[in-house]
Amino acid sequence: MTWLTWRQFRPQTAAALAALAAFAVLLAVTGPHLASLYQTDGVTGCRGAGCGQAANNFLSDAGRYQVVYALGVAVIVLAPAIIGLFWGAPLITREFETGTFRLAWTQTITRTRWLATKLALAGLAAIGVSLGFSLTFGWWTAPIGQAARLATDSSFPLGMGPFSLLAFDAHGIVPVGYAAFAFTLGVTVGLLLRRTIPAMALTLAIFAAAQVAMPLAVRPHLFPAEHTTVAVGSVDATAHVSGNGSFSLGVRELAGQPGAWVLSAQAVNAAGQPVSSVPACAGQAQHTQSCLASQGVQIGVTYQPTTRYWAIQWTETAIYLVIALALAGFCFWRLNLRRS
Amino acid sequence: MTEVIETAGLGKRYRDVWALSDCTLSVPAGHVVGLVGPNGAGKTTLLSLASGLLAPSTGTISVLGGPPPTGPAQLARVGFLAQDAPVYAGLSIAEHLKLGARLNPRWDAGLARARISRLDVDPRRKAGKLSGGQRAQVALTLAIAKRPELLILDEPVASLDPLARRQFLQDLMEAASEQELSVVLSSHLIGDMERVCDYLIVLVASRVRAAGPVDDLLATHHLLTGPRQDPPRLPAGVRVISASHTDRQSTLLVHATEPVLNPAWTVSGVGLEDMALAYMRQDAPLSRDHHHLGVCK
Repeated sequence: MTWLTWRQFRPQTAAALAALAAFAVLLAVTGPHLASLYQTDGVTGCRGAGCGQAANNFLSDAGRYQVVYALGVAVIVLAPAIIGLFWGAPLITREFETGTFRLAWTQTITRTRWLATKLALAGLAAIGVSLGFSLTFGWWTAPIGQAARLATDSSFPLGMGPFSLLAFDAHGIVPVGYAAFAFTLGVTVGLLLRRTIPAMALTLAIFAAAQVAMPLAVRPHLFPAEHTTVAVGSVDATAHVSGNGSFSLGVRELAGQPGAWVLSAQAVNAAGQPVSSVPACAGQAQHTQSCLASQGVQIGVTYQPTTRYWAIQWTETAIYLVIALALAGFCFWRLNLRRS
Repeated sequence: MTEVIETAGLGKRYRDVWALSDCTLSVPAGHVVGLVGPNGAGKTTLLSLASGLLAPSTGTISVLGGPPPTGPAQLARVGFLAQDAPVYAGLSIAEHLKLGARLNPRWDAGLARARISRLDVDPRRKAGKLSGGQRAQVALTLAIAKRPELLILDEPVASLDPLARRQFLQDLMEAASEQELSVVLSSHLIGDMERVCDYLIVLVASRVRAAGPVDDLLATHHLLTGPRQDPPRLPAGVRVISASHTDRQSTLLVHATEPVLNPAWTVSGVGLEDMALAYMRQDAPLSRDHHHLGVCK
């Protein structure tokens, strides 16, 4: 069965390896220059306050590789969807559509073993490919990630924090979880719908929904968020005040917590009560922050500290892997339940 | 063991539709059994149940004295050739043989090679580029080289042209006698069945209308022609399967275990196809008296 599965899966494996090789070549060609910029801009071996400026310079210089960075993120974020659509969904539907399941299931092999071999081989390939993409990209972006933590200016496009939406999805171990989930999701939907095109469409819809729901609804709550109250002006924040004194505050980054994931920021008064309007500051468009500070306004921030980055990465990956295993289990159950 | 397939009250439902219901029949071993019937009689469903591809909704079915094949032991004993002979279009003939060798412990590589070499096609040819006849032969080779005790074929020749059809059936017959296989094949082409089968089962709407060795069936069915009699008066033991009348003449297809000795009737033999077609008519009576018959209430 291993041979047959491998023989059937050969074109997909070849395509994946070609894509991985092209990706690796692109990164191998540009990576060394990026690393040398990191050195010449003085981030390597910097000390104290000099680091911030050196990192700023590097992020500015590295801006020329913004396209490569964006491409890498796009490839890694889209790869699981492609795996789910083009590996997962057709894995079983193709056998149904061509009738070859009748050939396969009447050889001297149980359909449990038939599915197990398919799932194991293609699933491991999916995990391997996504791991390959993630590792090569992680190697390439390492200087950017370090500089982003040191930089004092957070306005560089490449300086986004590790928790920012696409950056988190494209780094570390989570792409493996996404790929395993997308693959088994495609197989499961295919087993239920038995037709390739509808299965691909439904797989894409469910996977996209999961990828939106995870960072918005689940990831912030994987670990209890930290709370802190900071003075206005002590953090990298934006503040806008309108004519009647009502204002809005946004916190970009916490002082002393580079890269921390700010979940929410709320202006509070000295007593800790939320405030949304300070009439005394009406019209103080130029000096909003100092005015607010003088009125005793502080900012209550909930956030996930950077130190939790890998804990959140592994937890999220584990969640996706457990879902993938559950889907695979369902496939086995379903395949033997009502024999086709 | 004398029965390769035995069912009792067997039924299969798809949502609200019964593809097969309350089917009771037995298929004896050591024969090439033709399962004939109109489209929708339940032939494909019955054979899919026998090959283990489907699980019954009601009733029981035993295959070679055991459960329908789902585990390795039973799977090895039953060969199955599905309708339209599905093969992997992207795999070559040689790769199909490799597939068979890897998935079947009792695989007969020599037999498979010999059969394919007779096909006179390059084994490196992709199965998707074969003619219908060649594809059916590749699929049949897979099923036979597996060395099963029972070979089930679902409409194996339906999509073949007459020449390929004849070749395929001849080939099947040779294999069946060489390998001492029990064979069950379904078809709605009764003419083909006549050529290869020595046992016939007529299935109409899940019910067995007639069943028995072809020789017995031919010996016990007669065509009677004579002056118009409607309804006809016949001796006891003679059962009318179908009757047609003109102004002057009546033609009856009857089942009779004893010779019909009545000067009013001219008795002549009846072909298998005419006999089967007569049974397929909706108003044909249910057969009750044959030894191998499924008694279907």
